[in-house]
Amino acid sequence: MKLFFYLLLLISPLCSAQKTVSGKVTDKKGNALPGANVFLKGTYDGTTTDANGSFSFQTSETDTATLAATYVGYEAFEKKIGIKDNATDLSVKVEELANELNTVVITAGAFEASDEKRMAMLKPLDIVTTAGAAADITGAMQFLPGAQRVGEQEGLFVRGGSGQETKVVIDGMIVQNPFFSSLPDVQSRGRFNPFMFKGTSFSTGGYSAQYGQALSSVLLLNTTDKVSNNGLGISLNLANAGLNYDYATKNQSISAVAYYGNLKPLFSLVKQNVDWLQEPEFKGSSLTYRLRPTKNGVLKVYGMYSASDLSMNSRAPASDSGQMKLDLENKNSFVTSTYTDSWKDGRWSLNSGFSYSRNNDNTTLDGFNFDRFDERTQGRVVLSRLLSGNNTILFGAEAHAIRLKNGVAGKLYNLKDRYTAAFIESEIYITRELAGRIGLRAEYSSILRDVNLAPRLSFAYKTGKYSQVSLAAGQFYQNPDYKYLYTNKNLDYERADHLILNYQIIKNQRTFRAEAFYKNYAQLVREFTGQKFDADPYRFPWGRTNNGGEGYARGFDFFWRDQKTIKNFDYWITYSFVDSERLFQQFQESTTPTFISNHNISLIAKKWFQKITTNVSMTYAFTSGRPYYNPNNEQFLGDKTAPVHNVNIQASKLQNVLGNLVIFYASVDNILNTKNVFTYRYTPDGKTRYAVGPQSYRSFFVGMQIMLSKKAKVSKDDI
Amino acid sequence: MKKTIFTALAFVLSMCMVLAQNEKYTQAMTTNIQALNGLDKEKPDAKALQDIANRFERIAAAEPKEWLPKYYAAHCNVILGFVGASLEEKDKYLEKAGALLKDAEAIAGKPNDEILVMQAFHSQIHLAADAANRWEADGAKFAEYITSAKKVNAENPRIYYLEGSSVFFTPEEFGGGKKPAKTFLEKASQKFAAFKPETSIHPDWGKAETEWMLAQTNQ
Repeated sequence: MKLFFYLLLLISPLCSAQKTVSGKVTDKKGNALPGANVFLKGTYDGTTTDANGSFSFQTSETDTATLAATYVGYEAFEKKIGIKDNATDLSVKVEELANELNTVVITAGAFEASDEKRMAMLKPLDIVTTAGAAADITGAMQFLPGAQRVGEQEGLFVRGGSGQETKVVIDGMIVQNPFFSSLPDVQSRGRFNPFMFKGTSFSTGGYSAQYGQALSSVLLLNTTDKVSNNGLGISLNLANAGLNYDYATKNQSISAVAYYGNLKPLFSLVKQNVDWLQEPEFKGSSLTYRLRPTKNGVLKVYGMYSASDLSMNSRAPASDSGQMKLDLENKNSFVTSTYTDSWKDGRWSLNSGFSYSRNNDNTTLDGFNFDRFDERTQGRVVLSRLLSGNNTILFGAEAHAIRLKNGVAGKLYNLKDRYTAAFIESEIYITRELAGRIGLRAEYSSILRDVNLAPRLSFAYKTGKYSQVSLAAGQFYQNPDYKYLYTNKNLDYERADHLILNYQIIKNQRTFRAEAFYKNYAQLVREFTGQKFDADPYRFPWGRTNNGGEGYARGFDFFWRDQKTIKNFDYWITYSFVDSERLFQQFQESTTPTFISNHNISLIAKKWFQKITTNVSMTYAFTSGRPYYNPNNEQFLGDKTAPVHNVNIQASKLQNVLGNLVIFYASVDNILNTKNVFTYRYTPDGKTRYAVGPQSYRSFFVGMQIMLSKKAKVSKDDI
Repeated sequence: MKKTIFTALAFVLSMCMVLAQNEKYTQAMTTNIQALNGLDKEKPDAKALQDIANRFERIAAAEPKEWLPKYYAAHCNVILGFVGASLEEKDKYLEKAGALLKDAEAIAGKPNDEILVMQAFHSQIHLAADAANRWEADGAKFAEYITSAKKVNAENPRIYYLEGSSVFFTPEEFGGGKKPAKTFLEKASQKFAAFKPETSIHPDWGKAETEWMLAQTNQ
């Protein structure tokens, strides 16, 4: 009997009366959260909140229990409650988890193309699907706000900066020769295939302390570490034929590329404004190896070699015939290896790299030797630590050994520079709405025998759910152009100070961004020849030089992109305004340099036609006139060219041919056949002038890419 | 004597409670699985789905040693990630599903074909949310999970169903479509015929979907 009593005692709680637990789940602002999960921890008792965020359920628990609530995108809630009696009118307030939408991002000056970040305004594929970019990374960047188009030179001209003020950086390593060898009045392409990169970040200024040696901008390219297994591919077009092969196992992968190109067929079809004696012929290959030696570690080794050969008659207003025979034979190699790893759940991470590049330009001008040689060896280590609350601190160092040789009409100039830098930078999230980045960079160059200290600052404040304002400021140093250092080793760094104010709103696949900037240039190199200005861009500076130059650039730009309003249709508009004056080089007075165009507008539209699996893209680019040197005008650089207009279209079609994916593409550049003029050059007597324009006016290009593998699956945008 | 009997009884009773708990677990799981299966396959009601996901999650919280509740909660969230109104919403559910699958993996302790299949399904739905930008990364993940699942248990019919559905929804110009999907779906159908779930609450979905898709390829 007694036993039975015990038994009852034990069982009784199971049979005890049910009690009610009820209340409401809201966010911090009191908005009801329907669909939230509310329950007593460790039991099956609980429910889902209704449309008003209210909940009510029965439980047989006694005394106390832990009330728990979860809601997707919110932090989990737990609270001890007493349930001796019914527990009603409970108030559960949950906090939203930090995510890309509710946390501010430091953005001033940065323009990213990324798959991984939702805040990125471009996707990597935008680079290859933009008409007029000719699948060239810098070609595509020229349509972004802040960039100015200078048709006859390579390089990125950013916010009043020259092409040399932008550095191209691959996986943290400075690329010594990002473009094919410079030719007189011809814009050279970038050496790198856009498909190599998973992310591109184009800075319009105020960039991180992790990078240096660029007065205006850095173009950061991050190589892909995806392990693809695409097998063999063939590419054929009017200019070249190539093979690419990808092979991957679980922890390793290899990609190999080889190509041969000859521009003769294309140039015989498209009328050239350049007098080619031998059309460019080029060949190259690259090999990438990736290894995952540990869970988070990635080792990448990339090596490339390319060689090209050409001969042309270039314009030489100073010579009697008006032209000069140029022969150029280029050999370029670049090897870079990087190792990245992270430990302790990503709290510590390492980025390290080593690279070597070597470039040989065997050049003769009318039989005179103008050989150029350069070599850069660099190493870099960056350690970052993730602190609580998403704050980070990173520190790192880099060292470069640079060797240059330049033959000038038989005389050989030599230069060696050891450049080292150390940097520290911290990102601090004061709240989810306010964040800052503070960095400091120190640099030493053995040739300048001087140290510089460059502070960098950035702040961002979230003004709404989809919008934010940011501010960036900093100092940026760069060694003077090496051509000045050949003759004067007492020069100092050139300097630029940036101030940038940015506003952006990204909502529902529509983006608006506005940025205003002020840039101060100081310590620019001035040259004193005691003679008249010489407009020849390839002249060797033989005059006395010092760091007495200065200047400014100020302006604003807008970007609008809409991928939403019309299905399968995407368009963007950019407008950039810059006002800039400088006293530098051979300038006798402060004035607007020849590479500045005050207004740059681009309109880009892309449409995908599902039925015919074809992507069509159109670009209109407008560049206002640029100053040029007219010896007959008393006002220095007082003349301006007419504006440059260019309309491009490009189409690519995907087709399944015998089980292989084939992409056909065709493009027409300058479809209206506008006779654009980039600048003018005068004969020494000032009586005759030559117009410098594009390599060709209206031109076209066709080609195809074949993926010889059933595994190859490509989306519509991969064209 | 009395003490012994008491101890024995207490033991029996506690055993009963454990059994009762087990029964309660199985019972709750069965009810919820039925509710999940009972949803409209083409247009599942998001509210009902959320409620079922929550129920599984509550069981998961109460039964920290069982991977199945986490698995089913993840399955619900993957479907929610498919039916979500915006990319933002879809990603929220898919992120949740990913976390649940990670938990399930840790509880299971060793490679489990069903969890790997669900992870493959998760990458497939994540890809579908923003195909243009995600095909490469998610496509590779999908293939990786499928390969791993085959290594653990090549007899799992859902592996072939997912492979088939992936090809089925890939446009023809990329080598996909109904025809090439058929081989996978037929294989899935064969495997389904031979498939017996470990217990009544172990994963047993995909057969109806396979048959539906197979019927489409025959049209």
